[in-house]
Amino acid sequence: MSVAPLLRKIFLVDLIKGLSVTFRSQHPDELITEQYPLERPWIAERYRGQPRMAVNPDTGESLCNGCGACALACPEKLITVTSDRDPVTKKKYMTSYTYDVSRCMFCGLCQESCPTDCIELSQDYEMALYSREGMTLDRVRLEKGPEPTEYAR
Amino acid sequence: MSNSNFYDDAPVEAPGKTFLDSTEMVLNMGPQHPSTHGVLRVILKLDGEKVLGTECVIGYLHRGVEKIAENRTYAQFNPYVDRMDYVAAVSNGLGYCGAVEKLISAEVPKRAEYLRVILTELNRLASHQVWLGTHALDIGAITPLFYTFREREEILKIFEKYCGARLTTHAFRIGGCQYDAYEGFDREVLAFCDAQDPRLDEYEELLTTNRIWVERTKGVGILSAEDAIALGVTGPVLRGSGVRWDLRKAQPYCSYKDFDFEIPIGLTGDTFDRYVVRIQEMRQSLRIIRQAVAGLPEGPIMAKVPKVLKPPVGEVYHSIEAPKGELGYYIVSDGSTQPYRVRVRPPSFVNLQALDVMVRGRLVADVVAVIGTLDIVLGEVDR
Amino acid sequence: MRPFLDYLHSSVTPGEYGSYLWAVIYILIIFAVASVAVMLMTWLERKILAHMQVRLGPMRVGPHGLLQPIADALKLLTKEDILPDEADKVVFWFAPVWVMMIAFLNYVVLPFGRTHAVTDMNIGILFVLGVSSLSVLGVIMAGWSSNSHYPLMGALRSSAQMVSYEVAMGLAIVSAVLMTSLNSTGTGTLSMIGIVEAQKAAGRWYIFSMFPLGLIAFLIFAIAMIAETNRAPFDLPEAESELVAGFHTEYSGFRWSLFFLAEYAAMIGISSVAVTLWLGGYLRPFPNLLSGHSWDLAFSLFPGLIFAGMALMCLIGAARMPKIPQMKVQTIGLWLFGGVIALIAVVLFLPGVRERVQDIFWFAAKVAAFMYLYIWYRGTFPRYRFDQLMKLGWKVLLPVSLAVLILTALVGIRQDLSTVLMGVLR
Ligand code: SF4
Ligand code: SF4
Repeated sequence: MSVAPLLRKIFLVDLIKGLSVTFRSQHPDELITEQYPLERPWIAERYRGQPRMAVNPDTGESLCNGCGACALACPEKLITVTSDRDPVTKKKYMTSYTYDVSRCMFCGLCQESCPTDCIELSQDYEMALYSREGMTLDRVRLEKGPEPTEYAR
Repeated sequence: MSNSNFYDDAPVEAPGKTFLDSTEMVLNMGPQHPSTHGVLRVILKLDGEKVLGTECVIGYLHRGVEKIAENRTYAQFNPYVDRMDYVAAVSNGLGYCGAVEKLISAEVPKRAEYLRVILTELNRLASHQVWLGTHALDIGAITPLFYTFREREEILKIFEKYCGARLTTHAFRIGGCQYDAYEGFDREVLAFCDAQDPRLDEYEELLTTNRIWVERTKGVGILSAEDAIALGVTGPVLRGSGVRWDLRKAQPYCSYKDFDFEIPIGLTGDTFDRYVVRIQEMRQSLRIIRQAVAGLPEGPIMAKVPKVLKPPVGEVYHSIEAPKGELGYYIVSDGSTQPYRVRVRPPSFVNLQALDVMVRGRLVADVVAVIGTLDIVLGEVDR
Repeated sequence: MRPFLDYLHSSVTPGEYGSYLWAVIYILIIFAVASVAVMLMTWLERKILAHMQVRLGPMRVGPHGLLQPIADALKLLTKEDILPDEADKVVFWFAPVWVMMIAFLNYVVLPFGRTHAVTDMNIGILFVLGVSSLSVLGVIMAGWSSNSHYPLMGALRSSAQMVSYEVAMGLAIVSAVLMTSLNSTGTGTLSMIGIVEAQKAAGRWYIFSMFPLGLIAFLIFAIAMIAETNRAPFDLPEAESELVAGFHTEYSGFRWSLFFLAEYAAMIGISSVAVTLWLGGYLRPFPNLLSGHSWDLAFSLFPGLIFAGMALMCLIGAARMPKIPQMKVQTIGLWLFGGVIALIAVVLFLPGVRERVQDIFWFAAKVAAFMYLYIWYRGTFPRYRFDQLMKLGWKVLLPVSLAVLILTALVGIRQDLSTVLMGVLR
């Protein structure tokens, strides 16, 4: 062993270098913790979270035409759409819609397949519940959209 | 090793046994052990602290991914592959999409390929960062974990912005990418790369020269090149043993031949070499990302793929260099919308085989170090 | 009653004074203060470790998590106390008690100030050595009685480790004791207070005397004491990533918290020994350079100033708390906390208190520095492997400490090594 590495070893240079890294990290500007309920995390625009169904803002009608493409696209087969045909206009319309969030993996295939951009995955991520009940969303819940939670301490 | 008497507590005749020899201890490490990276169970046969033999018991995380594939259409199966190696979900998607594209002979547009390269390399960084953090944690350095996860967070934010999910990204679709790069994508990725270089130096300052780290990793878990090839290990474990084999160079896919990068290899195949190889790989990934962002072409991001995918009858094998090694997909098509059979060649599963060779005759603490250096993800081992 | 109150004017420890009542009072005070210090230490450890790991650490219970130790203690006390079926019940029950007892036994001889010790045993340092080597028994008992693999291996590692590091530690201590005899009369001492007083007489801390011998002996002790208290990077007996929790894997709830308490108490205790032997114990810094009445006064103001600074930090922190209803309780808490500390600061400035307390303050400050080092090491270093640990103990620390001992002795015979060598050559 030549002299320089030996000296470095005796004077613990390697250990001191490591110690200085951890010491520097104590600077308050380096802290990255997010205090969750107080500080909300940043959510991207394309985030795939709690599902929502869009309604026509002028008429309040659902954009869904009952085509069932989302139900077909879903790998988990958790969307059930029933539809009927209007006897007058001969147009299909959606009669009921259920979406079982408990099995959803938020892959986004349903929103990609929807021709009318009706079903979409919103930016809400606070979906935890104490039981499985209430995880099956019906049309009313889906149209109302996620209700952001307020937390008290 | 035959399993017949492995569980027996009865003393096994050891060479040179005298009447003072004590019996062997069978230690059940896992599935709930802090450093078996999930739910791996290793049965260790110990003589004091010395390991006489190991046996891995796997399957605690088995979800039947391959079977699920047989009941899903090609496009529907795509999100499931993210759940195998959940640390490197993007790579899994790249492998699967590449396999199906090969099956239907789709030509992926250049822009989509470059986007794929950027995201996959980012994911390689993220995966290696998880490895570094947990590996260091196994060896007792608790701090690097938080540093690496801080960096990984930046990568996950880019993923979230790009495709809307952080972990199970479902980033690619068969035939290209679903999403185009968002506004400011290139700027953000480059900024991340620039911030990453000094961080890597910081990790190295903490570990590479540290005498305890060197002592704990040098000469531990040696895997010779012959053994490595015989056991079929791939990825950084193989390269750490000095075999220059990287599918990105050996069988270039997804425009990897456009980029200029090196394949770092180790010399002795010990844990320290694998550590160095992975750290160097992270630097090379940054290099690839920089090139890909600079050369990101304009154009479409999706090939013409029919909405209902019915590949011709046939079979295909496509493999990519995932962060952990060769990730291969073997798909048999019977001409219907659903695959007849999908078989995944997971790198972690194959690499885990090397555990016994690497730890036999060493100490318990080395088992932990070697499990860390193999960089296994149980989601992928068990599928 | 008279002798009881008279003690306050004396300048010896209760043990020497012969007042059992005062000794008991001291013991109670030390036990209470040490327990509070351990609690504070757990908070500090979590906080400092968190900051090194770019986290915030406990923030929820009380302002900046100040009440977290109390919450932890409550949680541990109310937890189910699991007694494994296969365990050896009596030994299993006794092990944590033993470990705890031993950890606190050291405190009997620790001099927190010239008069602030339970007693000044004339073999104080021997007592410390003897007691600290007993703690390994508790660990072995815990590991053996659990009747489980991980604890057993933890206990095996622990016994080997503690025994082998004790040797180097003892030799380092001997070289410090040797230094006490290097005065005009040539009489050394084993008493803890005696050692500090010897440093006072010599005009320098032993870490600086016979440079670098004192420093090396100190470093050896510093390494051995980390191994002795099973802390990172020598925390093999409880190596989390290998042995789950080592010898206390099977313990839970209150019993586990006894181990925990004992570990921190032992850390504080052994750091106090290091401080006493090499860092001048309760002496203020620079006893020889900055002497004189005005310097004495300046140094005696330190404790008050530090507390005033802490109070100021709390108050500024309280003023800068986000003004939202969720933080209201915390803000008030921080105001109150700052107020209490400010009050303590004012008390510390009083002339009568100032002189008596500053000994304790310097002692505590030095020990606190050690505690920070403990945490710092834990945040930075990977863990040694068992055989490497043994190698370090027997092949590095032991020879070096022997060499230091011999050199110290040689230098001691003739204050000047060169004359010795010349004599040998001639
Ligand atoms: S996100 Fe995926 S799993 Fe969930 S409903 Fe849509 S398609 Fe199905
Ligand atoms: S939500 Fe969209 S895809 Fe689903 S049934 Fe309605 S219109 Fe069709």
